[in-house]
Amino acid sequence: MVARTPLLPLLILGVSLGITWLAWNHEHQVSRVGLRAQFDFSLRETASRIEQRMAAYEQILRGVQGLLATTGMFERSVLSDYVDTIQLGANYSGIQAVGVLELVPARRKEGHIVAMRRLGFVDYEILPVGPREVYAPVIQREPYIGRNRAPLGFDPWSDPVRHLAMEKARDSGMAALSGKVKLVTDTEVGAPPGLVMYLPLFARGLPHDNVDQRRANLAGWVYIAFRMSDFMASLYGTLSPGLALAIFDDVDVSDTALLYRSAEGSTRQQRPALMTANEYLVAAGHTWTLSTSTLPEFETRFGRNAAPVIAVAGTGLSLSVSLLAWLMVTGRVRAQRLAAEMTEELLHLSQHDSLTGLPNRALFSDRLNHELVRAKRHGENFALIFLDLDNFKLINDNFGHAAGDLVLQQIAWRLQDSIRASDTVGRIGGDEFVVLMPELLAPNDALGLAEKIRQAVRQPITVDGRDLVMSCSLGVAVYPDDGPDEIALTKSADDAMYRAKEGGRDSVRAGTSGENNTLHDRMLMNPGTTACAGSTRVNPSNPLPR
Amino acid sequence: MIQVATRIFHALLLLLGSLGVAHAATPSCSRVFTVALHDHGLLYSADTDTGIDKDVVNELVRRSGCKFTVTMMPRARIWQLIESGALDFSLSGISDVDRSKFAAFAWYFSNKYYLLVRKDSEVHTLADFSGNNKLQLGVIRSFRYSESANQFVDRLQAADRLSQASGLAPLYQTLMLNRIQGMIIEPFDYPSLEEKKIREHTAIIEFSDPAVPHGLIMSKKALSLDEQAKWRALVQGMHSDGTLRHIFEKYFQPALAAAMVGY
Repeated sequence: MVARTPLLPLLILGVSLGITWLAWNHEHQVSRVGLRAQFDFSLRETASRIEQRMAAYEQILRGVQGLLATTGMFERSVLSDYVDTIQLGANYSGIQAVGVLELVPARRKEGHIVAMRRLGFVDYEILPVGPREVYAPVIQREPYIGRNRAPLGFDPWSDPVRHLAMEKARDSGMAALSGKVKLVTDTEVGAPPGLVMYLPLFARGLPHDNVDQRRANLAGWVYIAFRMSDFMASLYGTLSPGLALAIFDDVDVSDTALLYRSAEGSTRQQRPALMTANEYLVAAGHTWTLSTSTLPEFETRFGRNAAPVIAVAGTGLSLSVSLLAWLMVTGRVRAQRLAAEMTEELLHLSQHDSLTGLPNRALFSDRLNHELVRAKRHGENFALIFLDLDNFKLINDNFGHAAGDLVLQQIAWRLQDSIRASDTVGRIGGDEFVVLMPELLAPNDALGLAEKIRQAVRQPITVDGRDLVMSCSLGVAVYPDDGPDEIALTKSADDAMYRAKEGGRDSVRAGTSGENNTLHDRMLMNPGTTACAGSTRVNPSNPLPR
Repeated sequence: MIQVATRIFHALLLLLGSLGVAHAATPSCSRVFTVALHDHGLLYSADTDTGIDKDVVNELVRRSGCKFTVTMMPRARIWQLIESGALDFSLSGISDVDRSKFAAFAWYFSNKYYLLVRKDSEVHTLADFSGNNKLQLGVIRSFRYSESANQFVDRLQAADRLSQASGLAPLYQTLMLNRIQGMIIEPFDYPSLEEKKIREHTAIIEFSDPAVPHGLIMSKKALSLDEQAKWRALVQGMHSDGTLRHIFEKYFQPALAAAMVGY
């Protein structure tokens, strides 16, 4: 039982902590799944808005394509009017320019330059200069204001990044987006990243149903040039709060390929993001990497905070339940211990005198019988001394029972002080005491102890500030000379004690076997017997204060 | 298993064909229809504006006599628009419980799915891949596959081990860059595997599922049941007269083309 005692609370603690962990883990998982779903949704929303915005740009470009397919690419005022009409204002704030590129084979280069200069662009050149097989110079850029009044003639076909997109647009007949470029109109150092979307223009009336036809009948391109930062600023809605977004050109996530970084993503985070994801967005035939990560605000806003509460509450509850179990288990043990102690105490009470704490008649009788058996077996002697206080009744009568009890307690302590460790002293009546003296080597030892007791009793006892002098009468019986059993011995000691009483009290008398020596011994050990044998000195009815 | 699936698919086509014959009227060209393509290997290449889906659309235009507006957009966007009814048709779609609520299908081919993995990822089975938490799978957003492939993808998604893309090209790029270690492919992606660099660094693991039927996707919101049946009959006609087989033979070996269209 003792070994099991700490196990049950520990078991309960383990189980309850385990349940707490399960609940915490479940909540943590549910919370994480919810957060992941919200994160995924936000990422998808962002990607969707970018795709839709890109589709809107493509629609504008298709409008230009359709317009020029109808009117021809050299009707400059048509494009100018068109751009004015659609009002590339705040709604399309990302668009820096809508322009037209003319496909110019090397053989037509000079004629093309002459024609452009005749239109009033007197310094017109195809840039970069130098001989190439094919040129695709910018021949118109709208709206023709501000930085868009930069010289025409830039040949994007000569730039590998733009060239790739132009080829894609030509071969597919669809919109194609370039990689990260610096716009021609952005002349300053550190200009924001730009992008260009191209749509092909085919010669009027000629087929362009397949790649070969499209390559053969290409006349030029229309394009939209825009800055990435403006493009992102013009998106409908706002980015989900608590998300840091970065957009990279293609699948390269290095700084050189960085197209855009949200303000939240620009600041260094204190701790790693809880969730990060790269989504690869293919828009107008070009790949962007949307790199998204959560900020602490995201977790605060969308996370469920029940997991820590469950952990703390569950742990607290587990400890409380375990403590309760411990108290219950140990309480039972303590109750058993208390019961044992009470039983022991009851046993003690049943065997001892409640006033003096000395063994009572029952216990004394038990020990006497044990000693009888032992002495018989070993052929040894032991003594039994009966003691009766002289005139004790007068103490009670004159000073009250409380004083009498005090006297009895004092007498009991003195008896205990007088005997050997192996001796037993008991109280068998109101003022009657008995001493068992085992392993007696000589009968005189018993008489000596009785005399020692007698003298100890005679020492003054202080009660309520007054000294009382008591005396006693003692009878000594020795086994086996004064009796072979408890009854005979008791009677012998009792008779001796009464003889002492009858002889004037305050004296010691031996049993019948030692009767002849008793007087002599008593005289020898108590020469002043005559003086104190009577009750004259100790007159409890009129005790003399010292 | 493949033969059984092929027979079932063939029987399904015949059944649908008989239903189609029962309503053998030509679809009504009461308006300009919208159809969307997505850039996906041999199904459709935006770079060349060619592919199986484009050919099927051309054939639908020719047989129906209706006018179509053809647009290219991401697959996820296509499903959104089909659901909303803003888009009438798309091609090469597969069904599942959710999609069948808003989309009807006219089946015309079936194919199996495969896991393409980097050789240096030391993956030899599907369990090898799902058991290694360091491995990422690249998928096209909103794509669904065969049953066990769907389960495979869903498990990895729950473990945050998916990289999403709106097109196939970045998946090949990131696979070569070892940012993802696997992706799910179909026969339409075979030409990409012919590229030496990809072939050298990858291995193919087959999903054990039977071939999954693909078909013309029809928006239930945009097309009535009667119209759906007419378009289904039109597709069945393309199947019955061998037109579909001829289209597929332009892109695949004859045996594979025949297996895919159910012959």
